[in-house]
Amino acid sequence: MMSKYFKELKILYTREKFLVLSSIAIMTVTFTILGFFLSLVMGFHTAIKTLESQAQITLFFKDEFSEAKILELKSNIENNEKILNVNYVSKEQAFKIFTDLNKDAPILLEAVTKDILPASLEIRARNLQALSGLAEEFKVTDGVEEVKFFRDVVDRFKYWANIIYVVGGVLVAVFLSLSYAIILATLRINISSKADEIEVMKLVGASDIYISRPFKMHGLGFGVISALLASFILTLLFVSIKFLGIFSVDSKFIIIPGIKVGIVAFLIILNFVILISGALVGYLGSLSAVKKYLKI
Amino acid sequence: MPQIEYRNIIKDYENDRILDDVSFKIDKGEFVFLIGPSGAGKSTLIKLLIRDELPTAGQIFFDSGVNTQQTKAETTSLVEEVSSIANISDIPHQMLPDLRRKIGVVFQDFKVLKSKNVFENVAIALEVADRSLSEIRKIVPNVLGLVGLSNKMDRFPKQLSGGELQRLSIARALAHEPDVLVADEPTGMIDPNSTIEVLNVLEKVNSLGTTVLMATHDYNIVNRLKKRVIRIENGKLISDKKEGTYDE
Repeated sequence: MMSKYFKELKILYTREKFLVLSSIAIMTVTFTILGFFLSLVMGFHTAIKTLESQAQITLFFKDEFSEAKILELKSNIENNEKILNVNYVSKEQAFKIFTDLNKDAPILLEAVTKDILPASLEIRARNLQALSGLAEEFKVTDGVEEVKFFRDVVDRFKYWANIIYVVGGVLVAVFLSLSYAIILATLRINISSKADEIEVMKLVGASDIYISRPFKMHGLGFGVISALLASFILTLLFVSIKFLGIFSVDSKFIIIPGIKVGIVAFLIILNFVILISGALVGYLGSLSAVKKYLKI
Repeated sequence: MPQIEYRNIIKDYENDRILDDVSFKIDKGEFVFLIGPSGAGKSTLIKLLIRDELPTAGQIFFDSGVNTQQTKAETTSLVEEVSSIANISDIPHQMLPDLRRKIGVVFQDFKVLKSKNVFENVAIALEVADRSLSEIRKIVPNVLGLVGLSNKMDRFPKQLSGGELQRLSIARALAHEPDVLVADEPTGMIDPNSTIEVLNVLEKVNSLGTTVLMATHDYNIVNRLKKRVIRIENGKLISDKKEGTYDE
């Protein structure tokens, strides 16, 4: 049966070379964009999660607020279920960090002593939203001189990520619709070119399933071939990006919360998703074409 | 019991009445001519028989034989005969292929596939029924032998005469060994010599037990064979003669 299918596909290609090639080209572009978009979504998702997990509030304390009081406050904060962890940075540790960071600026180091730098608590929350509310609370906490919270960076990143999601989503939707339409058009021409054969098949007792099967297979074939081409392009793209050093082999993608996978595993999953999408778009498109144009 | 029964058939196309209360029966193994001028309703009667169209009113019964269904009682084995008479209008859509394998059809314009050779044109009838390649290789030469095309299996339609094309069409219709062979003006596009070849094939098929229903308005054919003649005019059954001629 498969040899018969490939024979028919070859005949279709010979008859409608331009149409078949443009169908496959458009579908390949569609699935490449889909794959690229999914990679971007996963990349941004991973980046946001990483930023969120690294985002922290830093509480700087007044000099007169003793270390004992700070550590007592630390214990209280740690009991809050919204808090992931709390790190105490004493005046000494702050000075050490400062000297390490400015070891090439001796004049600056001479001007600063450990008494000038405040002790601080670095607080990480379980999620970014919680962190925002906590920052407001800490501003009025006794002994706190200043609260630093770099929320804007994450928010701005999220803002651009959302724009990319919307643009990418629209692009994928447009190209999926185009692919669907071109499958319909290709199969419509294929069906009309085989009108005589279909009529004869009906006369000699062919079932609806038998008559429609080759057309469904053609749609499925177009989808799968295009998806395979798109997978190949995406794999090349990933390999190129890796060689350019944009991400390392050790980079991890967060597929679903709590599960991180490496680049190779991500690429395999991505290609699998592309292949399934190709098969689905091809099959559903051909199903619609058969329903619409094949009068059986 | 008749093999085919048209009972009070009415067929309207929009406001035109094409068939008006037509009733007749055909027994198994009969050779029946359906005659009448163009537009009389002959082709419509054929289309209704293969469920290409549905009647506006009335029923068409088709008996494809008798099924034997065996049911086991506790102590005895009971063989129950179940009649397989079907009202064609009531046959579910998914069962239509079965009906069309029991009623072979031949048309005036042959309806052969130009891209396929003689063998393939007959094989398609078996392929659609998912018959195996070995069965196809056995059956196709047999039916081509029956219609006298054994030596032209590799030829393409454009290499055949009109008579040969029609015999090819008959061979394809016979591939499923149908109970009935329906021919709608099968000699309408061929010369007199080819007409005789086609008629000989149809008589041969009939002599082997297949019921033949042939629509024609060629009086030479009807007068030559002296078979049962049903005359239709303006959608009405005018006459039904056992050994009729065209003008009776």
